[in-house]
Amino acid sequence: MLQKSSLVLRDGTSLDDLIMRDSNEVSLRVMTDEELYQHEMERIFSKTWLLLGHESEIPKSGDFIVRDMAEDNVIVARDREGNINVSLNVCPHRGMRVCLGEAGNKPIHQCIYHGWAFKPNGDFIGAPVEREKMHGNDVDKKTLGLKKARVHLYGGLIFATWNIDGPSFDEYMGDIKYYMDQLFCRTDSGLELLGPPQRFVLPCNWKVPGEQSGSDGFHTLTLHRSLMEGGVMGGTAESIYDQAPGMYGVDVSCEQGHSLRCLEAEKTFKMFADVPFEGKSVEERLNLLTPPGITKEMIPQLFKNLSADQVEQLATIPPQVGGMFPNILIAFIFAPRTDGGSSGALALHTYVPKGPDKVEFVNYIFAEKDAPEQMKRDMLQNSVQQTGTSGTIEQDDADVWPVIMKNARGAAGKTMTLKYQALHGHERPEGWKGEGLLYPGFTKDDTQWNWWLAYHKLMSEAA
Amino acid sequence: MTWETKSTAAPDSTTIIRGLVSRKRVPLGSVIYNKLLETLYDEAAALDERRFDDWAAMLTEDLVYQAPIRITRTGPNKDRDVMRTMFHFDDDYNSIQMRLGRLQKSAWAEDPPSRCRRFVTNVRIGECETAGEYEVVSYIYLERSRGDNPENESLTAERRDVWREVDGAYKLASREIIVDQSVLGMSNLAVFV
Repeated sequence: MLQKSSLVLRDGTSLDDLIMRDSNEVSLRVMTDEELYQHEMERIFSKTWLLLGHESEIPKSGDFIVRDMAEDNVIVARDREGNINVSLNVCPHRGMRVCLGEAGNKPIHQCIYHGWAFKPNGDFIGAPVEREKMHGNDVDKKTLGLKKARVHLYGGLIFATWNIDGPSFDEYMGDIKYYMDQLFCRTDSGLELLGPPQRFVLPCNWKVPGEQSGSDGFHTLTLHRSLMEGGVMGGTAESIYDQAPGMYGVDVSCEQGHSLRCLEAEKTFKMFADVPFEGKSVEERLNLLTPPGITKEMIPQLFKNLSADQVEQLATIPPQVGGMFPNILIAFIFAPRTDGGSSGALALHTYVPKGPDKVEFVNYIFAEKDAPEQMKRDMLQNSVQQTGTSGTIEQDDADVWPVIMKNARGAAGKTMTLKYQALHGHERPEGWKGEGLLYPGFTKDDTQWNWWLAYHKLMSEAA
Repeated sequence: MTWETKSTAAPDSTTIIRGLVSRKRVPLGSVIYNKLLETLYDEAAALDERRFDDWAAMLTEDLVYQAPIRITRTGPNKDRDVMRTMFHFDDDYNSIQMRLGRLQKSAWAEDPPSRCRRFVTNVRIGECETAGEYEVVSYIYLERSRGDNPENESLTAERRDVWREVDGAYKLASREIIVDQSVLGMSNLAVFV
């Protein structure tokens, strides 16, 4: 028997009524419920690690960017020691935003309201008329700093959490780390962000794109049909359902809700269909089909930074798309270009909640720092043309999600369920080296269901 | 365009460029001004009416079509807010053709299509150094109606164009769309600006 969730809403509906673990269904009501949203802010977004940017955005002492941890605006700043700090952008004096710009360089952040000043690490410096003790008669200055979040850097990505004594980043990652390392920790200099993220707002709940980022492979065939029609993916418009390009591979996941789809490139993209892989060594494969963002010259770096097993996977059946719970989507894709090139596209999105019916789509676009300039230029163009605001792939996602949201508002509509009943079940493919929950073959609902189980688990823990 | 890595934090001189650069103004009401204005109106009509072949015929094959990211800055850098390191659109002639080809097939973001109205105003024109090329700066106000939603999505921007005279007509050689929002309120850019 599954242990009952203790979370019960005011009208008597329990979390178990909404996340139906015996039938693998989720009530559409979860997308609109205001009370549930408030619980999510406390039980998920105040508890898990959240992605805020990349260290290449703030290389110098005093550099800062301002980002959002759900509806909390935070300052991400580099201090004189070179450490990255994340502090709540709320003045502890009277609640004003301390930093009004989105990015810049400041040794001191001074609130424009009454002038309280703070260091890049959030420590309180003082109020303007020091001799008059404007900060309080008997208040210790140490207690007046900006509220600080706990920070962890992973492959240069800046993560933070309000859960100061909670799980470590490695505990949060779990078994998925082995696979994520193949994307984020594979080269000597690592990734760099090519520019500030694209940002736009969609009228839907964060979980609509969120659950899709649990490696929904299936939607590619219909929603992203234009990829087949345009001749990018294998097959043609007529043979989409016979060949089902991009559907076969190994989906990997873990109980923390993260997942990745590992796909054999030659079975996914038309341009690689004639590349003979049979009997080739790992090096030969990497040279025939270098992973997105990597040049042939960078191949030795892969062997240096990853284990032999990890490199073999990257050369054979690389992780390409997936996500991290609760709100990150990963797209490290081969991106054949109209001019014949294929430098690839490396993009991460966060889906930042802005109320029960609003989500901010933040699109971060990367290249390997050591990649040649022309390749970075190509990758920027590939990513912008395929993902985010004008991306021909994700335009269609952005069109679907708000409609689902509308449907979830109807009295009848909200009684409908999202169904995750096409399940494969964990199965370790022969010779597979990595850990985690593994789903080989045609992509199914397992990874997305694991996303909901992770949601259920966190939501059932007291805030 | 050569690549130069820039941090989000540090602005550079390119982040401040706006408006008309040319000092050789093409005066309002002159023959060339009127013809270019008419071309902008024709272009807006072609896009609003989804006559994409007509629009494609107005583009040069060396087209550069970009929409840089806008961010909020304060203090001495408050006007350095156009981040030309990242874009909402980053296209050339071929990729525009790819987008147009997609619109003929399964592009759900525009099927059913949006109903758009492009208002083009505040047109200022200058001569480029290359004869027959004109710098055309305009404001655009795009109203977009989608499905049964009674509330339009909208976008305002400055467009910094170069139009080139080819066989007696003007063709678009480059467009930079400087959007006003740092966070777009439009749920995608499946329409051209």
